[in-house]
Amino acid sequence: MDLKLRKEWPQPRAGQQGGEVPGAQAGPPDAHLQINARPVRHYGQWIAAVVITALIVMLAIAVYQNPYIDHGVIGQFLFAHLILAGLRVTIELTIISMAIGIVIGVVLGLFRQTSNVVLQKFAVLYIWAFRGTPLIVQILLWGNFGLLFRNLDLGIPFTHLIAFSVKTNSVVTVFVASILALALNEGAYMAEVVRGGILAVDRGQMDAAMSLGMTHGRAMRRIVIPQAIRVIIPPTGNELINLLKASALVSVIAGGDLLTVAEEIYSQNYRTLELLIVASLWYIAVVTVANIGQHYLEKRYRRSEADYLQKTHRA
Amino acid sequence: MGESRDAAVAGAGPMIEATQVWKSFGRIEVIKGIDLTVQRGEVVCIIGPSGSGKSTFMRCINHLERIDAGRIYIDGELVGYREHDGRLYELKERTIARMRSEVGMVFQHFNLFGHLTALQNVTEAPIQVRGISREKARDEGLALLRRVGIAKWANSYPSQLSGGQQQRVAIARALAMSPKLILFDEPTSALDPELVDEVLAVMKELAKGGMTMVVVTHEMGFAKEVGDRVVFMDQGRIVEEGTPEQVLDNPQKDRTRAFLGKVLHHSRHDVAVDIGPGAANGTAT
Repeated sequence: MDLKLRKEWPQPRAGQQGGEVPGAQAGPPDAHLQINARPVRHYGQWIAAVVITALIVMLAIAVYQNPYIDHGVIGQFLFAHLILAGLRVTIELTIISMAIGIVIGVVLGLFRQTSNVVLQKFAVLYIWAFRGTPLIVQILLWGNFGLLFRNLDLGIPFTHLIAFSVKTNSVVTVFVASILALALNEGAYMAEVVRGGILAVDRGQMDAAMSLGMTHGRAMRRIVIPQAIRVIIPPTGNELINLLKASALVSVIAGGDLLTVAEEIYSQNYRTLELLIVASLWYIAVVTVANIGQHYLEKRYRRSEADYLQKTHRA
Repeated sequence: MGESRDAAVAGAGPMIEATQVWKSFGRIEVIKGIDLTVQRGEVVCIIGPSGSGKSTFMRCINHLERIDAGRIYIDGELVGYREHDGRLYELKERTIARMRSEVGMVFQHFNLFGHLTALQNVTEAPIQVRGISREKARDEGLALLRRVGIAKWANSYPSQLSGGQQQRVAIARALAMSPKLILFDEPTSALDPELVDEVLAVMKELAKGGMTMVVVTHEMGFAKEVGDRVVFMDQGRIVEEGTPEQVLDNPQKDRTRAFLGKVLHHSRHDVAVDIGPGAANGTAT
């Protein structure tokens, strides 16, 4: 055996976690000590695998060979101009609503952290209202906004003095209503994500910042929020993916998205299943791409978070 | 004692004067009438069991916690409030922040800003709070890091540093604001034993340089070597105080004796540790 017994260990260089012992060899000395055991056989797993695969294959065949689905129609509409236009609207809705939703979420998250009671209560009320009603109902309400307020007036509140008036329906189009619904709803969920991120930052950070003479606001901006962002990013990616799928709900007010277009087409040619399959294929494609992005996002931010935690609490 | 309250004689009276400080969290009384005076340049070590209120008292000194009763004066200035015609008025956040910037604090868990490098940690407050230029802050920051022995790691992030290195950055960060005094809240309790000495060495150098320090610690060797006074706290009250020789070698109260018996039994540092000439400027390790 080559392993030397040392009376004094070399001092680890600062920053190292105790380095390799010099003179130690790699791997066990004798080949017959190598472990080469027969693994436990999991027969239950094998049987389950066979059964499930069989079921999936049967389902696939049943759908594929189904006489009521015309594959030609699927091919015809998969890259049709109208479908792609609808897909573009879906993506536009998602991105715009997400951007607005993030801003609202950050503002609300900060409101919840202030000492201003009015802002705090407002934030709580907002979150309660927008998370407490189904998104589809919110979409319907915004779609019918013109029924509630026939005109949008700009003037002095509580008087009859109006400077500027416009018909609601010309401003709040279906597209605008869709964005309002999705963005305001997303804002409520993002507020919770932001709050979670801020809470995840150790309280000691604020203590240290304040002990150096920073006000609460400055400490938040320079110290807490930059660190909160790392924690906020992975769940934000998830929210984006959810919004992508939820955007299909705007079809109830004919928002012009992918599902709206698919519905409009099959209401004319009665090819319901084929068009829904077309829409589904596109949704899965876009969501899969987004999921891949999310995977790398999580890998990057989870790793640094774990690193950070591990290293600052070991001495 | 009245003259120390006058801001005009700041620079003449005690650095800290705490009178009848009471503090409760909800219904639990944590500090029950503490009186403590710390003179300029004094090193006061506070010892005591956990839950005795030591850390809370420290946090009260720089108004990270609000006291329920009593008064705390730092260099003649009342902490947290303004007294006028016998009434107390809460100070604005900016004023309190300014007072805090003159009181350095070093925490048990370092609390370094994880998203900033060591140098950035040290320069952040001078730039943001004092408005010092980036270049000047950098130069002064590097000088401080050199002084605590980690100039080499100026561009490293806290997660890349050992605990002892992080705590030394934390001390440099506190020094960057040229504080009148520094509060140390169990600065070495979270460190592996072999890293404790490098931090104590920096603290000893600070003490010898005349910095007013209040140190909550279990390092009795440090208290003996550098402390001017030792204060034993238990259950929110000061039980005994005096010179290190008086309190540590010759405790008068039974509770003090009992506590010391338990602590010294475990401590490696109950004998004054000889650091040697290299440690204070970081050439060791």
